[in-house]
Amino acid sequence: MANSALALWPIPRNMTSGSTALKLDHGFNIEVDVQQAPSDLHDAVQQAQKYLENDKLGRLVVGRGSNDSTAISGAKSVKKLKLSLEDGASVKSITDESRAKFEDRIEGYKLSIPADGSDATLVANSTLGLYRGLTTFGQIWYTYGQDTYTLEAPFDIEDSPAYPYRGLGLDTARNYFPVENILRTIDAMSWVKINTFHWHITDSQSWPLELSDYPELAQKGAYTSSQVYSEKDVQDVIAYAGARGIDVMLEIDTPGHTSVIGNAYPDYVACQNEAPWATYANEPPAGQLRFPLEEVQNFTAGLLSSIAKQVPGNYFSTGGDELNEKCYTDDPVTSQYLNSTGTTLNDALDQFTKVTHAPLVAMGKTPVVWEEMVLNYNLTSLSNDTIVMTWISSADAAAVADKGFRIVQAPSDYFYLDCGGGGWVGDNPKGNSWCDPFKTWQYAYTYDPLANLTATQAALVLGGEQILWTEQSGPENLEPVVWPRAASSAEVFWSAAQPSGQPLNATEALPRLHDVRYRMVQRGLNAINLQPQWCALRPHECDLYS
Amino acid sequence: MARTSPFGLLVLFVGLALSNGVLALWPIPRNLTTGSTALKLSPAFTIQVDVPNAPSDLYDAVGQAKQYLENDKLGRLVVGRGANDTTAVQGAKTISTLTLSLEEGATVNSITDEARAKFEDRSEEYQLTIPDDGSAATLVANSTLGLYRGLTTFGQIWYTYGADTYTLEAPFDITDSPAYPYRGLGLDTSRNYFPVQSILRTLDAMSWVKINTFHWHITDSQSWPLEVAEYPELAQYGAYSAQDVYTEQDIQQILSYAGARGIDVLLEIDTPGHTAIIGTAYPEYVACMTESPWSTYANEPPAGQLRFPLPEVRNFTTNLLASIAKTMPSYYFSTGGDELNLPCYTDDPITSGYLNSTGTTINDALDEFTNSTHSALIGLGKTPVVWEEMVLDFNLTSLSDETIVMTWISSADAAAIADKGFRIVQAPSNYFYLDCGAGEWIGDDPAGNSWCDPFKTWQYAYTYDPLANLTTAQQSLVLGGEQILWTEQSGPENLEPIVWPRAAASAEIFWSAAQPGGAPLNGTEALPRLQDVRYRMVQRGLNPIQLQPQWCALRPYECDLYA
Repeated sequence: MANSALALWPIPRNMTSGSTALKLDHGFNIEVDVQQAPSDLHDAVQQAQKYLENDKLGRLVVGRGSNDSTAISGAKSVKKLKLSLEDGASVKSITDESRAKFEDRIEGYKLSIPADGSDATLVANSTLGLYRGLTTFGQIWYTYGQDTYTLEAPFDIEDSPAYPYRGLGLDTARNYFPVENILRTIDAMSWVKINTFHWHITDSQSWPLELSDYPELAQKGAYTSSQVYSEKDVQDVIAYAGARGIDVMLEIDTPGHTSVIGNAYPDYVACQNEAPWATYANEPPAGQLRFPLEEVQNFTAGLLSSIAKQVPGNYFSTGGDELNEKCYTDDPVTSQYLNSTGTTLNDALDQFTKVTHAPLVAMGKTPVVWEEMVLNYNLTSLSNDTIVMTWISSADAAAVADKGFRIVQAPSDYFYLDCGGGGWVGDNPKGNSWCDPFKTWQYAYTYDPLANLTATQAALVLGGEQILWTEQSGPENLEPVVWPRAASSAEVFWSAAQPSGQPLNATEALPRLHDVRYRMVQRGLNAINLQPQWCALRPHECDLYS
Repeated sequence: MARTSPFGLLVLFVGLALSNGVLALWPIPRNLTTGSTALKLSPAFTIQVDVPNAPSDLYDAVGQAKQYLENDKLGRLVVGRGANDTTAVQGAKTISTLTLSLEEGATVNSITDEARAKFEDRSEEYQLTIPDDGSAATLVANSTLGLYRGLTTFGQIWYTYGADTYTLEAPFDITDSPAYPYRGLGLDTSRNYFPVQSILRTLDAMSWVKINTFHWHITDSQSWPLEVAEYPELAQYGAYSAQDVYTEQDIQQILSYAGARGIDVLLEIDTPGHTAIIGTAYPEYVACMTESPWSTYANEPPAGQLRFPLPEVRNFTTNLLASIAKTMPSYYFSTGGDELNLPCYTDDPITSGYLNSTGTTINDALDEFTNSTHSALIGLGKTPVVWEEMVLDFNLTSLSDETIVMTWISSADAAAIADKGFRIVQAPSNYFYLDCGAGEWIGDDPAGNSWCDPFKTWQYAYTYDPLANLTTAQQSLVLGGEQILWTEQSGPENLEPIVWPRAAASAEIFWSAAQPGGAPLNGTEALPRLQDVRYRMVQRGLNPIQLQPQWCALRPYECDLYA
């Protein structure tokens, strides 16, 4: 620690490191000792080599490494990193491993880097574990002049994630993001071992998803004909993610957040563009599926299956947040139907959920829903396997756990990346962000995913994610608004604690996060500055009481 | 929304304007009439410069204006992005020429020279006429700078759909001039460094909304990126790295790039506080340098301030400021003066020993320091600019009456400065600080928030009244104002989205001051126009933030609070 902060992120769960200088040999290569290694493992190795060659990150100390030259000139050189699988491990692609069910996902790895220049070794039980180990290996090295080196050899790392779900959420409906921006985001996710891209792809404002079975949705619902994701685009994103150890969890939010469906199917949407919008929706425009109607249930079930069958992940979100009931009370079509059939809204929602979830379950998907579906309604049709995402408050996990559901934590009071940007609704000059204040990386980092849960309930927590809602975002600010902040939850859910067993501590973490951020910049990402560079080069000197 | 219509059909006209879209000029001209006739730009459209001995930067500006006309390709912000305009556009007349000329008797100077004139000599007004019958448009001004402003307005009028570049609101008749002579944008390049390229891009964006002053807070306690030929050690020891510097050549490039875009550069060398970094080259000149705990000695780390009472420090600073100021063409130069920390001196044996032995108060020493540094600047023909503490927290008899005072602590402070008779530039943090609201950046403080929470939205900044609490007599002291980005949490990575289009809010406050009809500026009216500014900026390759979902941008007023 005297030399600098060890800059691994997320910090491995078990590790020892030393204080010997070690160089990467100019002929350094990564050898894949895996029988019938899949092509995406070879691609990953090549990418890892590129980062080693191109990162050229100067160590974050005054002089950026100029004082290291003496230590480096006497250092040994490591020539090789050897990758192999444990005996008996089956060989699958990284892509397939990253889409396995949570209970079957193997991300652990062992990485040894001797100080004497002999070969480094990386061993895992799956190609996905090897991928994670390569990512760790890439965070170890700095460049000064011609040398790429570490001052902290030898390394002995035995690592595996504390939680199987470590996500990042992105809304591509409030504003559109070109595919290229999504791919870049997936790159950055992979650098901090985030393994799930939660893609909130549609909402009331736009429907950018092209569907060959339902072409009118994007034709009438995308912002323009160029602001769409073709079926091929979606497959490209999924493949790019898979090769980086990332599963794509698509969300088609229903039955609320669906106004735009009314452009193509006006009969299926209640209160579409009704004024005042504030009566019928949390934000403009109003409009929700008339879910009690049988034809709407069948339409939605058909639509969701049509989409779900195109995505390989085991998990598929049907949304379910912020259902506005007034929209239905004031909608003659829906309210007459409810009255004439003597159905309550809750029962109609139960039936809707049954009809829409059944085909998903039948095709092997596990449904994912927002917390209201279990906390605000009594839906007997929800399968016990259903995964529930919290968002309204960090206090809600306990109530979800009380009902026995598995949980993904995305509490707005810690993890919403859009908070603090001020009000965006017009004619409201004094309006602030509804979820003020801004959630800093350090505040998000204090999140305890097991707070208020019993020991038994703790096992229900699959992990969590930070998420960007994009009312005030677009490709223009995507990278700085997300990075490096989203690395906070990546560490909360991978490491859960410091290697020593001590709780995670933001004061300890800051210098490491600077390292992550500066390496991201070297890789061409527009990650925001966390502090003046003066502070980044002087760990802890800008702490509150220093 | 009230605009004067030449046809006297005000109400109907407003209705039409709304249904077609919104007139997207920003800052809104102070006098304008528009119509509802479609008019196309000819594919062979030319801008003719009818100015004898026109300076080369005017030709450059015309070339740039033509490039924007060709490349903006902005679709109108309505559902369909102009698809419904085809009928109107098909039958439209075509305009082939815009003719630029100066009023009779106007002297011909370069845009650059005009942009650096004293406030009272700065002539930015222009008249722009665009007939709807296809005859030549005309732009007339009293200076090349006025022509530049008119070209900027002309560039905001046109949309593209398919092969056509058009407006639906011809004819235009615009007589425009700024309400205030100082319309700035501030940038701190010390907390984090910004490459020259990022600064040039910022200057481009400033010019698009007629901001005329780049207030460059170039140094601070964290780093000294400014290479000074006579003081090479300052950047050698004080820049973050040998690459993170502004060479004299860089400075000259920025100055000329700014000048050609109608922008004056107001350099700030903040003294005597905010100077810890000087101690890396001149340790004996700085008190409490990197002292711990920093919070006792500075508002943010690292601590360190010039030992300004010492004669050698006074002389050093005077020579340093003069050495920098003489390379700057502007009439205005800021010596800073904010956040002076007094315990730093009380606890510094050298400074306190000097004060005690000479029987000098801090105030008198500061007066002497200011006298020395400002005299040298005035000797170079510069008008000193200082932060508000220099007149509100101290009694400095040495400050010249010409001194310009910048507010920052609060919008409530302008009145007290006006009471002392100084001219004012308004940069109140509670409206105009672009860095607020992003949370705490100090370490070991997970629950900490931004000191100036909340985030200052464009619409809140837009409600700022620069004349609040001032008497009629005092109002003429207000030169203008600026939004400013302090960069503890910024770098080239987020410069564009954090500044734009927000910084356009003050650009309109200080150019337009009111709606053309005389009604006060109104954020609700302004939003669709600002969306237009924002989407055009994107077309020009800038990364301004989204203000709303695109759904709202295409449907003016439908995302208003009570819509």
